[in-house]
Amino acid sequence: MKTRNRKSDRPDESRRHLLKLLAAGSGLLVFPLGSLPTRASAADGTGERPPYWAYAVDTTRCMGCCACMRACRDENGVPKGVFRTWVERYRIDLDDEVHVDVAMHDDFVFAPAPGDVARAFFVPKLCNHCEKSVCNQVCPVGAAYRTADGVVLVDAEHCIGCGYCVQACPYGSRFINPESHVADKCTFCYHRLARGLAPACVLTCPREARLFGDLNDPQSKLSVLLRQRPYRLLKPELGTHPKCYYLGLDREVV
Amino acid sequence: MDKKPTSYRHTIWPFALIGAALVVALVARSQLVPASFGDAGHFRADAIEEARRIAPRHLGQSDCEECHDDVAHLHDKDAHAGVACETCHGPGADHVAAGGDGGIQRPAGQQPCLVCHELMLARPGDFAQIVPAEHYRLVGVGDERTECIACHDPHEPLFMDHDLRTARLHPLIHRCRDCHAGRTDETMARPAGHPAIFQCDYCHGEIARGFADRPHHRMRCATCHLFFRESESAGRILRDTDPRFCLLCHRGAEFRSSDAPPSIDWPDHRADMAEHATDLTKRCIDCHQDRIHPLRTDAAAPGDTPRGGKES
Amino acid sequence: MDFVFPNELNVTWTVMIVLYPYITGLVAGAFIVSSLYHVFSRTELKAVARFSLASAFVFLLFAPLPLLMHLGQPQRAFNIMITPNFASAMAGFGFIYTAYLLVLVLEIWFVMRSSFIERARCRGGVAALCRLILLGNLHEDEGTRRADHKIARFLAGVGIPLACLLHGYVGFLFGSLKANPWWSTPLMFVIFIFSAIVSGIAVLIFHYMVVARLNGWKLDQPCIRSLTGYLWGFMIIAVALELLEVLSIAYKQTEEWEVLGMLIRRKLWISYVILQYLVFSLIPFLLLGINTLFKLRDRLANAMIWIAATMLLVQVLLMRWNVVVGGQLVSKSMRGFTDYLPGVWEKEGLAVAAAIFTLPFCILWLFNKIVPLFPEAKPRT
Repeated sequence: MKTRNRKSDRPDESRRHLLKLLAAGSGLLVFPLGSLPTRASAADGTGERPPYWAYAVDTTRCMGCCACMRACRDENGVPKGVFRTWVERYRIDLDDEVHVDVAMHDDFVFAPAPGDVARAFFVPKLCNHCEKSVCNQVCPVGAAYRTADGVVLVDAEHCIGCGYCVQACPYGSRFINPESHVADKCTFCYHRLARGLAPACVLTCPREARLFGDLNDPQSKLSVLLRQRPYRLLKPELGTHPKCYYLGLDREVV
Repeated sequence: MDKKPTSYRHTIWPFALIGAALVVALVARSQLVPASFGDAGHFRADAIEEARRIAPRHLGQSDCEECHDDVAHLHDKDAHAGVACETCHGPGADHVAAGGDGGIQRPAGQQPCLVCHELMLARPGDFAQIVPAEHYRLVGVGDERTECIACHDPHEPLFMDHDLRTARLHPLIHRCRDCHAGRTDETMARPAGHPAIFQCDYCHGEIARGFADRPHHRMRCATCHLFFRESESAGRILRDTDPRFCLLCHRGAEFRSSDAPPSIDWPDHRADMAEHATDLTKRCIDCHQDRIHPLRTDAAAPGDTPRGGKES
Repeated sequence: MDFVFPNELNVTWTVMIVLYPYITGLVAGAFIVSSLYHVFSRTELKAVARFSLASAFVFLLFAPLPLLMHLGQPQRAFNIMITPNFASAMAGFGFIYTAYLLVLVLEIWFVMRSSFIERARCRGGVAALCRLILLGNLHEDEGTRRADHKIARFLAGVGIPLACLLHGYVGFLFGSLKANPWWSTPLMFVIFIFSAIVSGIAVLIFHYMVVARLNGWKLDQPCIRSLTGYLWGFMIIAVALELLEVLSIAYKQTEEWEVLGMLIRRKLWISYVILQYLVFSLIPFLLLGINTLFKLRDRLANAMIWIAATMLLVQVLLMRWNVVVGGQLVSKSMRGFTDYLPGVWEKEGLAVAAAIFTLPFCILWLFNKIVPLFPEAKPRT
């Protein structure tokens, strides 16, 4: 796996107040819960390692304001009706029936929903930037690619718009952009990473439910968090090795 | 019979033509492959640079601070610390490009606040949510169109005057909605026979009992002792003592209804009390402690109250 | 059970992508028939040997058209050959297609060289075109004819695996997508090949009978009988495989059956169960079976065979629809279904689809004007 040693200008260490950082740093607070990722174990400390970006979603913190969806739309000019990121609301009623909805209209505000449920929660979704991404595999022209720092991107100048990657993505993260007519998806705000900024959804999440960081840095907030808290991946059985780690994810989420 | 031999001469040209076409196609292909294709893998390496070149629209806290240091500083110390400026104000790129003249959203009305703070199914129980009508009844707001910012400065909504990060650590307190996510009729009363959960009065029994006899008993402990859930097992608890926090409910205003909590005129109230007029360290509870609950006593140690919750 | 991921609300692969495997299927099927004559010497098929070869050729010419209509950036279509990503099942398309097209063009050239020479000796524009096709060489004798025959036979042989590859690979393209439970089965490759052969034979019977009727020709009855037998046999294999695929999932009652069963019951009940199986498979099966097992009067037999062939053409189109569209109706959340109904006049709508499907028949008509596709045809007495 990747080794890492990287400092300072990471988006996840931005000047925002990072309550999570505190939580992670304080031995009083954290109880190792037996789910330590192995990838952060091989820091050799020699020289500068390129970052290896990954994402975490704390589903226990998301409160469904959809600020991420608005920010993503504004940051990336995502047209109406397609989504680089979205927030799902799960309602599991007393008969164990699962109801899911997404705030799809212009303002991305959830409609009132009937109460009396066994449990209910929000799950933000985005591209998983899989280590073994199917979309890259199936792109016939090499317009889908992965950067060395672990971000899956689309070459909009080379894409022919066949839609095969849209079919291949198990997470529904890709779409054909109705304006450019080529495949489109979350980029982890690659243009922001290049400037040391966090992705727009991470920046604007008021609850720190979205976290971003460098897996090559064992001290990054993300690496620390993934050592300390149990998480789940989406559809791991498909062998895509997704890189969005879902903290506190309910078993019903796919 | 003399058979004429098989003659293949006429077949040379069609095959030669196809061969030539293939050669042309191969040459054309080599010319048409984009310049940087294959440099970093089976894709156009220049595409990475193009992806980097896109200009950000959201700028981040530090850019906002360059001009709005005062607001950003206020912001740091209150409940909205951690909420980026651009979460409420929208992307700032146009605003900066225009030299600070417009190009930014100034949210108005209740809706921008309610996007986060309206009581909603699936919202975690530890997050501050209101049913606007109920909230207005509690704090005595008569006019339902009153904007949230009439009381709450969005940059300093609760006058906590604390840095969240320095607040006291506290074991997790459960609220009803942590389990009853769908229930919107939450009350303070624990139904008979409900299994015991970890609640304030287990450790602070004497304070809680004293609280029940006093005028603030309609409120939850966490209404003033704001609780911030930080992990599965712990949070941070805030004890607010800034006079402006009390004034959120007690300041007289036109929009208060007749059954509002007792209102005072501020800052006249302070001026009325000659001896305190200049002492800005004086807090409301220095005089009005008895309206709230007994002060912390030595008895309020863990184990003071049986954990079984038999009292209800 | 009503949630789809927000990006799945609009189906990405439209009726164009239904049409594309349908047309390549016709190519593969028609080519197999021509090879039965040219390679395997089924001489009873001589009446449709040229016709089947020409049909395969014109359908192949139009196979990429629905793809181009579908592509978001059709002007970049050649990227698939300029920078092919061979990790992708789709990247092979350009090369397999080109190779197959070359084989077909050459085979036609060698099979029909005599006819082209005959036509080239006349006057006028068509003759000039023929001379151009012949590359100016109008020489013909017994020796060249023998060479032409040998090469044509070789090309027909090479074309069989290519035809299977071109079309089977379309099946593989669907079958290899692990994200989609309705597509993801190794059987898809085989199902596509057999359904292709069915549609190819069916279109030849359908078209041959229509042309014969319009021109007042006598049908070559042994040829029809032979085609009927092949059609019946291949349709049994194709339908059995299609059923086998679904029944094995249904019987295993795996997790994916929960959503696929609901897909069949809620979304595909009419197009899949009622139409594809009960109407358009069962009736042709009976009609063809009767004609294979019993000898009926020619007139009655031909009517039944024509109806069966036409119905099987629809059956294969339904099968393509149920695979391509059906697979996209299931949300990858496995919690619900989306809807798709093609518009009539939009870019990827039904009018364009109908036009694309009609064009090969027009080109075939033109082709016949240059070189007769039924040189053996005799008028009805």
